[in-house]
Amino acid sequence: MTTISETYPTDVPVQRFKLTRKRVLALVLIAIAIGMLVLGNRSLTSDVVTTLTLVEPGTATALPAIEVPTLAYMNITALIFLGVGALAIFNPPQIHRYVDGLLIFAGVIFIPTILIVAAAGNSTNITTMMAESLRLATPIAIGAIAGLWCERSGVVNIAIEGMMLFGACFGFSTLFFLQDVFPPNQISIAMFLAVIVAVIAGGLAALLHAWLSITFATDQIVSGTVINILAVGVTSFWRREFLLSNQGGIEKLPEIPIPILKDIPIVGDALFSGQPIFYTMFFIIIISHIVLFYTRWGLRTRAVGEEPGAADTLGINVNSMRWRNVLIGGMIAGLAGAWFSLEVTGTFSNGMTRGAGFIALAALIFGKWTPFGAFAGALLFGFSDALGTRFQIIGVAVPVQFLQMVPYIVTIIVLAGLVGRSLAPKAVGEPYKKD
Amino acid sequence: MKNVRKLVLASFMLALIFSIAPVVLAQDGIETVCLVTDIGQIDDGTFNQFAHEGAIAVTEDYDLDYTFIETQAEADYETNINTCVEEGFDVILTIGFMIADATWDAAVANPDVFFVGVDQFVGDQTDEDGNVTEEAPENYVGIQFREDQAGFLAGALAALMTENDIVAGVYGVEIPPVKKFRNGFENGAQYINPDITLLGVYIDDFVAPDRGASAAEQFIGEGADVIFGAGGQTGSGGITAAAQQDVYVIGVDQDEYLSTFRDGETPGAEYIISSAMKRVDQGVYDMVAALAEGDMDGFPGGGVYVMDATLGGVGLAEPHDADVPEEILAQLEDIFNMMAEGELDSGVDPITGDMLEAE
Repeated sequence: MTTISETYPTDVPVQRFKLTRKRVLALVLIAIAIGMLVLGNRSLTSDVVTTLTLVEPGTATALPAIEVPTLAYMNITALIFLGVGALAIFNPPQIHRYVDGLLIFAGVIFIPTILIVAAAGNSTNITTMMAESLRLATPIAIGAIAGLWCERSGVVNIAIEGMMLFGACFGFSTLFFLQDVFPPNQISIAMFLAVIVAVIAGGLAALLHAWLSITFATDQIVSGTVINILAVGVTSFWRREFLLSNQGGIEKLPEIPIPILKDIPIVGDALFSGQPIFYTMFFIIIISHIVLFYTRWGLRTRAVGEEPGAADTLGINVNSMRWRNVLIGGMIAGLAGAWFSLEVTGTFSNGMTRGAGFIALAALIFGKWTPFGAFAGALLFGFSDALGTRFQIIGVAVPVQFLQMVPYIVTIIVLAGLVGRSLAPKAVGEPYKKD
Repeated sequence: MKNVRKLVLASFMLALIFSIAPVVLAQDGIETVCLVTDIGQIDDGTFNQFAHEGAIAVTEDYDLDYTFIETQAEADYETNINTCVEEGFDVILTIGFMIADATWDAAVANPDVFFVGVDQFVGDQTDEDGNVTEEAPENYVGIQFREDQAGFLAGALAALMTENDIVAGVYGVEIPPVKKFRNGFENGAQYINPDITLLGVYIDDFVAPDRGASAAEQFIGEGADVIFGAGGQTGSGGITAAAQQDVYVIGVDQDEYLSTFRDGETPGAEYIISSAMKRVDQGVYDMVAALAEGDMDGFPGGGVYVMDATLGGVGLAEPHDADVPEEILAQLEDIFNMMAEGELDSGVDPITGDMLEAE
């Protein structure tokens, strides 16, 4: 409990000029605000507008574009930042319970600000921007949930990347070989089987992880690393032996627009005309939240992740509980892998998950080991990724390499400044041995 | 005085070694060929695969042994080249701009092995005043392509096919060959329609098809109706995603209708209207064939072999299933001929890929 009173000084006298995390963040906000005021008023005239278009691809219903006067928007945002920054620094006792909320609010409005300022004098389509952020967030969110199941039960899983790769490879191979077996009108059956195989492949990799790290009590980091390396080797070998000779792609999982809902303006296209794994993501997040926090299984999972000794005393079989959770996590990771090969690209290439498994872990930490928090983290990464591309499309006159850094800079600011302390399940990383 | 005499003697001997070196090289027959890919794979549907196919063709025609190594990470360039050297291969083909430095070092260290680098510039290194600081190794040839000419043709085609007057490109890492494609593409599109809207994005990864697809989706959201993909699998990911959304696409390096779209079997194949081809296979074939025949005039050691429109080294692929009007094809043919005869310039620096100043 001591940690809480350090971060939220409700019952201790406020030390006026201690440089806390909040004050540092407040200083950063003020610096940004001053930068925006100075640069904005120097380089922009009041007639510059940013046009946000809402055209939805594939539909004729073009909504009216929103014209935002860039300079006025920048000045208002800067004033809000200054205000929030000042409040956070002086932290008067009457409002300090709202300071965290204010800082998060400032962080949230900073995100569209980047886009609006970058697109000054131009127009940019925010509908596709939203749709792409969500799309790019999908594997990260699913991967983070995979990690959540493992880590909540006390097993570190840095092998999400490898499990995804197994899923991507074997899911792709299944559809690749089955697409000639099934007649074209039944291709959806083959697709379904392919996704199932991807899930099983992830599950098998997870069994290896469980076997090494739970049964043999190997260091969980070592076991995870082994699986990541193994996945690269096995899938490249598989590709070279079996996929290379009949090269080519597959039909991707179809888009399934949901009637009526997809016609909702603005968000309809982003949320309700996705592909199957995209929809499954929402399902998994909600189910994970319910199971973890409202069922006996979830309670036991959290118990073995926090205090395995105590759980054992109460008659819970710690290692069996961990086995099952790691297996579930692996299967979810396999699904995340299927997103790469089956849902977006229709190909398999070596190492195609390109680090998404590790970013998923960052999203998990960002979300403080909760399903919705992890989803928010994934959205942030997805948004930053889409933003890097968007900047180039708008034609921001900054070197490409710098723009490609933006997602990571945003990540660092958010992780260090906004999230603050994120506590892992207490027993994570420790194998459980009955005395 | 003694020292001066030593120096003169030493330089004589050096000169002697350099002058006989090519003769010694030429007497070696070659039997084995090893190919090291850039990060990417020999079935990537773009230049690694094209080089691989050229290598297979030439090694079969001249009855040579052939193997390949797929590079997984930049750190492995040197290791992979050295593996080929240690295994005693006579000719080592390295694919890609990014592997050039490692190839140069290996060529200097192993003067009795021939190196051929695709997309690499080979020439004497000079300092700011133009003095030669390091001579290019005689056993090393760089194959260069006028990607800007292929890109120019693709841009002209895109500008002739678009209805919204918005065309876009999904490009790979910002290196000269990719810049040449992009700048050529944009100049070509503007040659047809000076007011056309040009969108484009460099993605710092050649093997990120999902990011390519995402960029293509964003372009479609901005109204682009012709998308050019020039960046290995990243670009291929972009054009497959776009083609499945019924947007015209243009491939790169080789005829992607045949590779990426599996000879028309992949859905969306009717939307690939062409590919900006660079005949990597022909370049590889020419160099290895010259070595196999002992024709040292055909192997410009220490220099570059430039494949341009005049040599037929770059050009556009046929439209296959796509519906491209005859008069547009005829117009492109005219542009190609004008470039081959040197009457039309792509407006792009053929070495750096930067835009040339408008005259």
